[in-house]
Amino acid sequence: MLNSNTSALGIIYPNSYDALVPELVNVRSMASIPFASRYRMIDFMLSSMANCGISNISLLVKSNYHSLMDHLGSGREWDLVRKNGGLHIFPPFAEKTSQPYVGRVGATASILGFLRSQKEKYVVLSDANIAVNFDFSAMIEAHIASGADVTAAYNEAEFPASILNARDNTKGLYYTFDIDNGRVKKIYINSRERGIQNFDMNIYVIDRELFISMVDDAYVHGHEYFERDILVPQLAKLNVQAYKYEGYVARVSGIKSYFDENMKLLDDHNLDALFNGAPIYTKIRDDNPTRYIEGAKAENVMVADGCVIEGEVENSILFRGVRIAKGAKVKNCILMQDTVVEAGAVVEYLITDKKVTVSAGKEMKGTDSFPFYIAKYHSV
Amino acid sequence: MAKEMIAMLLAGGQGSRLYALTQKLAKPAVPFGGKYRIIDFPLSNCVNSGIDTVGILTQYQPLVLNEYIGNGQPWDLDRLYGGVHVLPPYQKARGSDWYKGTANAIYQNISFIERYDPEYVIILSGDQICKQDYSDFLKFHKEKGAEFSVAVMEVPWEEAPRFGLMVADENDKITEFQEKPKNPKSNLASMGIYIFNWDILKKYLTEDEADPNSENDFGNNIIPNLLRDKRKMYAYHFKGYWKDVGTISSLWEANMEVLDPEHSGINLFDDDWKIYSRNSGMTGHKISRGAVVENSMITDGCRVKGTVKHSILFAGVQVEAGAVVEDAVVMGGTVIQANAVVKHCIVAENVTIGENAVVGAMPQDGESGVATVGAGVRIGAKAKIGPKAMINSDVEDGEEQC
Repeated sequence: MLNSNTSALGIIYPNSYDALVPELVNVRSMASIPFASRYRMIDFMLSSMANCGISNISLLVKSNYHSLMDHLGSGREWDLVRKNGGLHIFPPFAEKTSQPYVGRVGATASILGFLRSQKEKYVVLSDANIAVNFDFSAMIEAHIASGADVTAAYNEAEFPASILNARDNTKGLYYTFDIDNGRVKKIYINSRERGIQNFDMNIYVIDRELFISMVDDAYVHGHEYFERDILVPQLAKLNVQAYKYEGYVARVSGIKSYFDENMKLLDDHNLDALFNGAPIYTKIRDDNPTRYIEGAKAENVMVADGCVIEGEVENSILFRGVRIAKGAKVKNCILMQDTVVEAGAVVEYLITDKKVTVSAGKEMKGTDSFPFYIAKYHSV
Repeated sequence: MAKEMIAMLLAGGQGSRLYALTQKLAKPAVPFGGKYRIIDFPLSNCVNSGIDTVGILTQYQPLVLNEYIGNGQPWDLDRLYGGVHVLPPYQKARGSDWYKGTANAIYQNISFIERYDPEYVIILSGDQICKQDYSDFLKFHKEKGAEFSVAVMEVPWEEAPRFGLMVADENDKITEFQEKPKNPKSNLASMGIYIFNWDILKKYLTEDEADPNSENDFGNNIIPNLLRDKRKMYAYHFKGYWKDVGTISSLWEANMEVLDPEHSGINLFDDDWKIYSRNSGMTGHKISRGAVVENSMITDGCRVKGTVKHSILFAGVQVEAGAVVEDAVVMGGTVIQANAVVKHCIVAENVTIGENAVVGAMPQDGESGVATVGAGVRIGAKAKIGPKAMINSDVEDGEEQC
């Protein structure tokens, strides 16, 4: 094969960390949360894989996956309509006796037959809670060069407040590494350490056959999580290499972090860091360009196509098809697709989900530390 | 299975009156309205009207156009049976022919049309900005029992001599055709959009080809021949926005009209009649602190730090701090550097306009012109480009051209 990375297939777990953003996943999965004015979280991982020649990608969806399926369609936008490989969506395989699974072990166990029949030498695993323009080719090369059993990507970052201040561990598991000469020596689960950590990105490269036997074995023992139940107990035996990712990482770990990670992209340095690598693809909506009408005022905003702006907007992110009527004032807001802010309304620190209407003359303000969230279709 | 109607889109024109804009691409591939190319309009009209088979006749500089059309997927025209097909002239066992005229282009593709065994063929033109439901037009054609129908627009009488005019009776039956007459008998201008019964079209194309004196042109030969034979010919009145964008000034004007859909322009904000295009795939555009954006259309990938008034920016245009863009059409990937002034002009794709350069000027004392800068050109710092200039090659720092 000319393109060496066709030797890897991708597996993405779109519902991981859903519990951290209950508002946003009420009608969707983590993977289909709108991000950065015209994308969904999944776009970053799918595009990164596709850009690196990984064209056999399986999505192991668990719940609330209609919006994700609508977004993905046949996978054409990511060039994943392929005779060999392409995009596979695996919903849970329900049987009379089956219980909903938790963790990657249960999710993967249902597709072991599929995995066995594939030809790629390696598998690449990932969640969809981080927006990143990831070079999988480099990571796979590092994996091959080091001869590791498992290569784990991490970045150096502080824990977000939502984790540091969590009252218990039930909302999700986070992993951090102790690294010795490139090898992961210890994995901490939900450590509350402050300061910069070796923060696991939950992206792994493994030999496909090894991965199958790991999952098969773990499933027999009733295990759930790949990291907690496979990597941690076997760390002495397995050669787990740490792969430091130096690029831009936006992690969604709560509604506040969702707000902050969007707003960070108003800084050109961050925006370029995330997007100036390979292209990130998304579903095409065929909106017309955005129109700024006489009297409109816009400063420090990122705006997708299809918007009509007559009022004032500042420090905000507007998704496709947003309308801001005359005299309306929008400041420090994230307005998702087709939000309408009617004449004279004043909004600040608001996250509006799709098709929200803020009626004429209404005033609504969240705060910097607590942005208000308005659910899909609601009218204020 | 036969198709009721298929479309043949004439896209071979050089567009020589667009000068700098069509040096390297065919007229239908010229960008329009922020994220479109001219050909998006007839293609979207086809698919929105339920026509799923389109032959595109290309000849002049087809590379950009061919690549843009690709498999037709952006217009939903990637079909198992039908879909969009680019039809360039090709070599035959006995020599090859360029398309000699509009009629000859169709004649050379008779076998393409016959694969679909259509009852009707609609002939479209690739240089117009228009939203039109061709199914209404076909309904008219059938109701009249016509063999040939032409879409016409009422134009002001004083402008009528610039057009091909249809003289029609009270039943819309065409009695006479006048090509750019001095003394017009009608103000119904042909839009260059025709519906033919396929058997009639085939007959006349074949006869026309056999005539060595013919120019093989629809307007000059086929339509007069139909009239001569007293065929059932009808004029379909189209009411709506229609603009031939064959000249720099009309292209500029049509773009400016897009900014005012309430009064003059084509309404692109129409969910019931979307215009499809191949997407740039760039991120949302950014308006920085200190930037001024008024009465403009801006699309993905733009970065605005300066002032943009009454202008259209295509994908990925950068307007640096202190730069002023007014009444301008700025096509994709162009960079307008700090403190440059760009007014009343068309700037093509991937142009760099240097710091403090001046391109174009607002009309003064009845003197107006639309300065035009061709694709890929670099305008040096502090250079000055006059309002009537047509720039096709790099301009040095500080140089003046008018």
